Amino acid sequence: MFELFSYGDTGWGDEILRGLAITVQLAIVTLPVGLLLGFLAAFASMSRLGPLRFLGFGYTTIMRGLPEILTLFVVYNGVGLLLNMALRWWNPERGATDFSPFAAGVIALGMVFGAFAGEVLRGAFQSLDKGQTEAGRAIGMTQGQIFRRIQLPQLWRFALPGLGNLWINMLKDTALVSVIALDDLMRMTKVAVGVTKQPFTFYLLACLIYWVMCVLSELVLYWMERRANRGIRRAV
Amino acid sequence: MSQTEIILKAEGIHKSFGSVEVLKGISLEARKHDVISILGSSGSGKSTFLRCLNFLETPTSGKVTVHGNEILVRNGKPQNVRHIEEIRARLGMVFQQFNLWTHRTVLENVMEGPVQVKRQPKAEARDKAEALLKRVGLEERMGMYPSQLSGGQQQRVAIARALAMEPDAILFDEPTSALDPELVGEVLKVMQDLAAEGRTMIVVTHEMGFAREVSSEVVFLHEGRIAEQGPPEEMFTNPRTEVFERFIAKVM
Repeated sequence: MFELFSYGDTGWGDEILRGLAITVQLAIVTLPVGLLLGFLAAFASMSRLGPLRFLGFGYTTIMRGLPEILTLFVVYNGVGLLLNMALRWWNPERGATDFSPFAAGVIALGMVFGAFAGEVLRGAFQSLDKGQTEAGRAIGMTQGQIFRRIQLPQLWRFALPGLGNLWINMLKDTALVSVIALDDLMRMTKVAVGVTKQPFTFYLLACLIYWVMCVLSELVLYWMERRANRGIRRAV
Repeated sequence: MSQTEIILKAEGIHKSFGSVEVLKGISLEARKHDVISILGSSGSGKSTFLRCLNFLETPTSGKVTVHGNEILVRNGKPQNVRHIEEIRARLGMVFQQFNLWTHRTVLENVMEGPVQVKRQPKAEARDKAEALLKRVGLEERMGMYPSQLSGGQQQRVAIARALAMEPDAILFDEPTSALDPELVGEVLKVMQDLAAEGRTMIVVTHEMGFAREVSSEVVFLHEGRIAEQGPPEEMFTNPRTEVFERFIAKVM
């Protein structure tokens, strides 16, 4: 049975590993995109400007209301279409270009992550001790210094549990990109199942791999939370 | 009245929250070495007035001048906004709830202003912070986080943090009101030392002993106006207004 997982022409080990690499890359590239969108959404929905607030809340509401897979299809097909139109307007000779499924995955998953993260970050901002912000203002710090030096380092304390949840969710949602033909862990597993007709073995293996990734993430998150909580007395 | 340099001048400060007018035109002048205690029952506007001096609260109208930085406010809009940070850096502030930065050590709390706002080299700021913490009796606690300190110790760190900016004057907003009774003394002691070395201080307080013995001038606010003002001994032994007489009778 072990030769099924061996590396090389006879086994599926290398294919599965390559799929895993894609999955991990996708998740890691999506994270900063999602966080950036999350911060933008949080700032927009806390803004004093009405239109900006509308934009922030609109984005969150729409993205949270759509099934992730639908978002993925809309981005993959819709953005691909727009891209081709734009390219052909630039150069009419040009044939159709395929929109990279990886990029589509990053954008779609990032948009979903951003919408949820926006709410997590907004909540975290509102939990910050206003007195500490005032102390920064009273000493003559600029708004930017207060954000970087006082608010951001403490923001993680309130945001990390929520963001950790979102990260793990997103890690698993990467499996959705297998439907737009990105050769991630999920798709390679399906291919292996199709060829070997051994669904139980390979699906179980995929389960195990996803689960190990989640456990590793939880360990890292635990360490990060401890760091973010430095100086805070343990909850009573 | 001494004819020394005017450090801070507030003229006709008005402040409304919605339709409620909390401050109805307050003017105050602090000269170098003045220690001014602001008294008043709760709701008299004393904390709000203090917070208007460094624009943590924007007055509805009035004028604040600190070291040539003049800010005129009309209809709740300050005219020269860029002076605000300059004024703040020149006025230290000590809060009722200490407001130390919980994610930074005691030493880092004291170094933050000089390094970030005054752009002092780190080594220099560190030396100065250590000296200041020694002065307030906390040299043993420099590496600790605020949550590991008692309230009195935290407030002394907050005072050191304010001093580190080498301010022209320090504003104290009920600095002992959040402390356990047995910790009040250590903070008052530090404030008394500061007064003795000639620091300019404006103190909103309920500590009548401090107001009477340490301050050079007492200002009594009542319903958003200055009801009585003068040297402490005279005011306490011989109150001129009925409201202040009733106030002392209640708190002493």
